[in-house]
Amino acid sequence: MDTNIIISEIKKYIENNILAEAVQVNADTNLKQVGIDSFSTVEIILFIERRFGVSIPDEKLVPDNFKTIQALASTVVELMPDAS
Amino acid sequence: MTPFTKSDLPEKVILSGADCFHLVLDKHAKKHGAGGNVMRKVFYFSNALSFEKTAGILKSSPVIYWLCNIKLVHGSLLKKPCWKYTDAGREIILRRHESANENEIPGDILIRDITIESERFIEADLVYYPSGSCAFVLSWNHILLDAKGTTLLFEHLNLISENKPHNFDIFFPAKEKHTGVITYIRNMYKVKKFVQTSSRPPVYSIADAGTINNDDRTLNKTIPFTVDETAIISDHAVKAGSRFGPTLYFIACCAHVIQSLNRQKNKPGDLWLPVPYDGRLKGSAGPLISNCVSFLFYRLTKDELNNVPQTVKCLSEQMKAQIKDRIPQKYTMFLNMMRHVPLWLYYFLVSRTGKGVFASFLYTSTGDNFNDLKSLFGEPLSKLTMTPALTFPPGLTFVFLKHDQALDINIAYSPEIINHNELLLIEQKLKEILLNC
Repeated sequence: MDTNIIISEIKKYIENNILAEAVQVNADTNLKQVGIDSFSTVEIILFIERRFGVSIPDEKLVPDNFKTIQALASTVVELMPDAS
Repeated sequence: MTPFTKSDLPEKVILSGADCFHLVLDKHAKKHGAGGNVMRKVFYFSNALSFEKTAGILKSSPVIYWLCNIKLVHGSLLKKPCWKYTDAGREIILRRHESANENEIPGDILIRDITIESERFIEADLVYYPSGSCAFVLSWNHILLDAKGTTLLFEHLNLISENKPHNFDIFFPAKEKHTGVITYIRNMYKVKKFVQTSSRPPVYSIADAGTINNDDRTLNKTIPFTVDETAIISDHAVKAGSRFGPTLYFIACCAHVIQSLNRQKNKPGDLWLPVPYDGRLKGSAGPLISNCVSFLFYRLTKDELNNVPQTVKCLSEQMKAQIKDRIPQKYTMFLNMMRHVPLWLYYFLVSRTGKGVFASFLYTSTGDNFNDLKSLFGEPLSKLTMTPALTFPPGLTFVFLKHDQALDINIAYSPEIINHNELLLIEQKLKEILLNC
């Protein structure tokens, strides 16, 4: 799956389910700085696992991988079965 | 300072489900002879604040004016409880104190109660010390403001001191979205079943069910950590498996401390605790008034308390499962629905669930809400502490507060429940686990 599609889907999920209407994000926005807390991070991870059929292992659960939508999408790409 | 028009304030604000739950807690506290539901924030300044200027800022706040001019109207089957704005012209009272002991907050401030029958729901005090430093204490009834609301209140006071305009839109809760009755009932059934299973007896509580408090004082013990120690603790949290921030690690540490007290008393039962969960959409600027919290519920058996990483793993699994099942959102719906139930029946249903045990102990954290708060009223802050409302029973609350990269743990306790030796054990054990584990 194309990284841009993954970015777009994660962004859409975060905007529709987690963030207040007035808050705008892009692929490089620092998610903590716009108010994403630990519970919301878990929500995002559960969405990713459900939507993209991947399971994020413990060693990938590090703050750098949740920092931005871009970082989350890169983690998804790495974990997808057809990643080479 | 920007003036405000009193007629712009809302005549009626409906209580949220979480606000109504505070009415239940209030009833619970009265039944057990315990103190009130008062929260306090203490701000320390190296330079003395001007009494007149501080009073002027507080009196210029429309939110504070509203909090001094409302009364509770109880609900009924067809009517939700609400705050009615009375516009009685009452202004906030700012009291002046002097203390010979640096950083000490006079006892009469700490024991002053603000009840749901009080004329004003918020009060302020300024304490001056011989060194020229001072402390500003703001006290309010928890039924009106939660932790995030408090952060927003101080941001609002800072805006007033900078002569910036008020944004009324963020002060009060927006109109509730309508949810279909069937969805309500389905969710209520699911969440009721979940909470009943999660809190099933036997649950060990620091205070036995039915304990009557003969000493209604709330005592506080603050355990400060340096910036370096706080960095070590954050590192330990990650190593213990608390990968989404330190919260689960902090809860696990508190659970181990309580379990060591339990070992001394050798009472049966698992640990059970509800932990607040901010229900606002992230990044939202409001509402400031009203409790928007829901809860996550954790249950820990003796076998899950062998070591901290094991406990963190267990808490993490419970948290993920509850977030996946949208338990906090469903619990909010449940609380909202319970607004229609008469208070006596609501109290009966809540206290029956855990056979009178509300929690093994209570835990709350301000997260990063105050970490970057450098000044108040335009003056630089030297220190910030918080004393939580003490729900009794259990009569023991841990508050984790991070300010300026340094962690403070405030332990609020009832002397009826925790004696001096037990307090020393709690302090020693907490430090030992956080700094060495």
